Amino acid sequence: MIFGASGDLTRRKLLPAVYRLSRRGRLPAQFAVIGIARSQMDDEAFRTQFRESLREFAGPEAAGDEIAESLASRMYYVAGETDDPALHQRLQARLTDIDGAEGVLYYLAIPPTVYSTVIEQLGASGLAEAPARGWRRIIVEKPFGTDLDSARALNRLAHQHFDEDQVYRIDHYLGKETVQNLLVFRFGNGMFEPVWNRRYIDHVQITAAETVGVEHRAAYYEGAGALRDMVQNHLMQVLSLVAMEPPIAFTAESVRDRKMDALLAVQPLTSNGDGKTSGGSHVVRAQYRAGWVSGAEVPGYRAEKGVNAASGTETYAAVRVNLDNWRWAGVPFYLRTGKRLPKRTTEISIQFRRPPLEIFRRASQVSVAPNLLVVNVQPDEGISLRFETKLPGTRMQIAPVMMNFRYGTTFGGEVPEAYETLLLDAMLGDATLFARHDFVETSWALIGPVLDAWRAQPGDIPTYEAGEWGPPEADEMMAQDGRRWRSL
Amino acid sequence: MSSSPSELLPAGADVSFNKIGEAMARGSCQDSGATPMRALVATVVAVGPIDRLGAAAEALQSLGDAGTVRGILISEGDNPAPPARVAGNTVALHGLKPSFFNNAVAALRLSSLPTLVWWRGGRPDTLDGLADLADRVVLDDSRPEPIWSRAVTLFEDSAFSDLRWARLTQWRALMAHFFDIPEVLAAAADFSRLSIAASDPMSARLFAAWLRSSIQFRDGFTMDMADGSEGTPIDEIRLEDPRTELVQKLVIRFAAHRTCLETEVSVRGHRSASRLVSLGDQTLTGLITEELRIRARDAAFERALIHLVSDK
Repeated sequence: MIFGASGDLTRRKLLPAVYRLSRRGRLPAQFAVIGIARSQMDDEAFRTQFRESLREFAGPEAAGDEIAESLASRMYYVAGETDDPALHQRLQARLTDIDGAEGVLYYLAIPPTVYSTVIEQLGASGLAEAPARGWRRIIVEKPFGTDLDSARALNRLAHQHFDEDQVYRIDHYLGKETVQNLLVFRFGNGMFEPVWNRRYIDHVQITAAETVGVEHRAAYYEGAGALRDMVQNHLMQVLSLVAMEPPIAFTAESVRDRKMDALLAVQPLTSNGDGKTSGGSHVVRAQYRAGWVSGAEVPGYRAEKGVNAASGTETYAAVRVNLDNWRWAGVPFYLRTGKRLPKRTTEISIQFRRPPLEIFRRASQVSVAPNLLVVNVQPDEGISLRFETKLPGTRMQIAPVMMNFRYGTTFGGEVPEAYETLLLDAMLGDATLFARHDFVETSWALIGPVLDAWRAQPGDIPTYEAGEWGPPEADEMMAQDGRRWRSL
Repeated sequence: MSSSPSELLPAGADVSFNKIGEAMARGSCQDSGATPMRALVATVVAVGPIDRLGAAAEALQSLGDAGTVRGILISEGDNPAPPARVAGNTVALHGLKPSFFNNAVAALRLSSLPTLVWWRGGRPDTLDGLADLADRVVLDDSRPEPIWSRAVTLFEDSAFSDLRWARLTQWRALMAHFFDIPEVLAAAADFSRLSIAASDPMSARLFAAWLRSSIQFRDGFTMDMADGSEGTPIDEIRLEDPRTELVQKLVIRFAAHRTCLETEVSVRGHRSASRLVSLGDQTLTGLITEELRIRARDAAFERALIHLVSDK
């Protein structure tokens, strides 16, 4: 059951994901979709929307094929207001009609302001309770709260009607193939884990860069900003996967326990309010000015449609994170994210320490570049290792080269979309790749003081030109530590 | 002389900016039919007027044992969204507004691998943003004084060199070797006249600046410049002490076939016969190949350029 069935997320991601899962033969024969939204539509109109969604977001060949048509015949639509108890009675009746009472997954693809209403109504109508041999689960989209208090309140409400093992807080980053592969890379190989610590690693950089601006999300983004939109959820999740200790088993609880340990080791973040780096601040914020991205001139953030002309919302955030544990003491993790940056890329780079003795310094008159392990999360999923090599020839000259593994070239075919993986996991009851309530609350607790400091000093915010890699203040933060952002 | 991107990259195809990466990947796959596909090892960004980019395009496409590079050719104009043309691993952007040069390079350079900016001319203020993105900047301007003045302000943050400097490598090495001779070293302070026969006065000035920033000459040191022959920046360099009866001199000049240099030394207590040294590969490809192999800052070049700029 998709709440928000006529919305953008449903059209762009959820319906194409359902189609691809069906094409891969991962859905049961009795699978059905019930779409729910305020728009007045009947089943046939919803099926038409499904076909259009496939044509636009899953490729033109998908729209009319046998699998799509078979799926379409099992798509239903119920219109109504989410706070109307009658809507939920109609949903109950529709479930009975289509004989789908065994397992039901509720997907909240709706504005966060309506989450609590839907959860309350699902509880009050009995739709949260599973029959003896069935299950009921609920997927909640981000943002899960807007701060610690609201996240706690939402968790309390969810736990009034659902057990924690029924609640799936989705973070689509965790569904990406390379993010999952981090676990395999670290714990399925014997050679990396022994060097995955402060003795060998100098620092870690995690970057999530977008070329797009605020687009049609101004109303949401103005109240959120980069720290809430990206750091609190996606980047903290990725950080915890890089920093976690080995779990005792590949089970949801074991993995999520170790991720929590890593997050709990993060030192409190501070900001001096103005988004700059003075006073030991851990966080830099900035907003994009007019510039040039992807081959075209673009306006500044404040000139975007729907944005306050004096907006103080940050479109860029860079954070220095220190962890207090044996593995990572003294190894900073630098996180950065921003809109209107030069490239769309998300990656984790592990920079190793230099060799203890530079025996080639005399021959090549230069320090060797440190080894670098780069995990490309998107768009070109893969893993690269940079190392030094001798240049061919009679002279002793050295240069860096990359050893690359790419999913696309190695395995061919298409890598599953994150939503496919996560939808299927939720249906199968595997919560490994979903955020647990304590993780969400702890990450909000970490960024809360920063948000408070910014709120107290809403004035001028540092800026960066659209198409550049962020503001000078972010470079200064690195320079203070004797480091640089790596070239992407 | 090229005047358009299609002449720069005749075998290429026009693509939108967002499709450059895709087109390069496709081009690399097609090119790999006959020979094994090679990995890219660096990005070289050639910036300059379109008529100076043709030679750069040829050089980038024929780079050999330095490895395969991603080439980015950018000519200056006033177009905020110029067409892009891709051939293999090289892309040309013709007529881009200079204020967006660094944005284009930031989007197109290879991650994690060195970026070399090859400056063949343009507005000096454009250099700042490019230098910020580069591991190394190689200057190669036909009228270099404005860019030299700009470059010295950027030495703290970026490594710089100049192709004139690279072409003088053997000339400098031979001059330095003179001073390995104890008698020459002892007479160093006596030399007071530098004479250079050069077809490229800027090369001569750069050499002179290097020499003067390296050796403390006495007051009254003079420099004469004479015309040289076309085709080589410098024909002869002569460092002398003309005041003594026996003229002391150090001379470097082209040997008969102009592929080697020969030297002559005459100081009190020492005379040496001619010594022949190959000039090395002086083509653009050869010089850029050599620059790609260098990673350290060149302190001697920086000192020379600072001396030249402050002395003008």
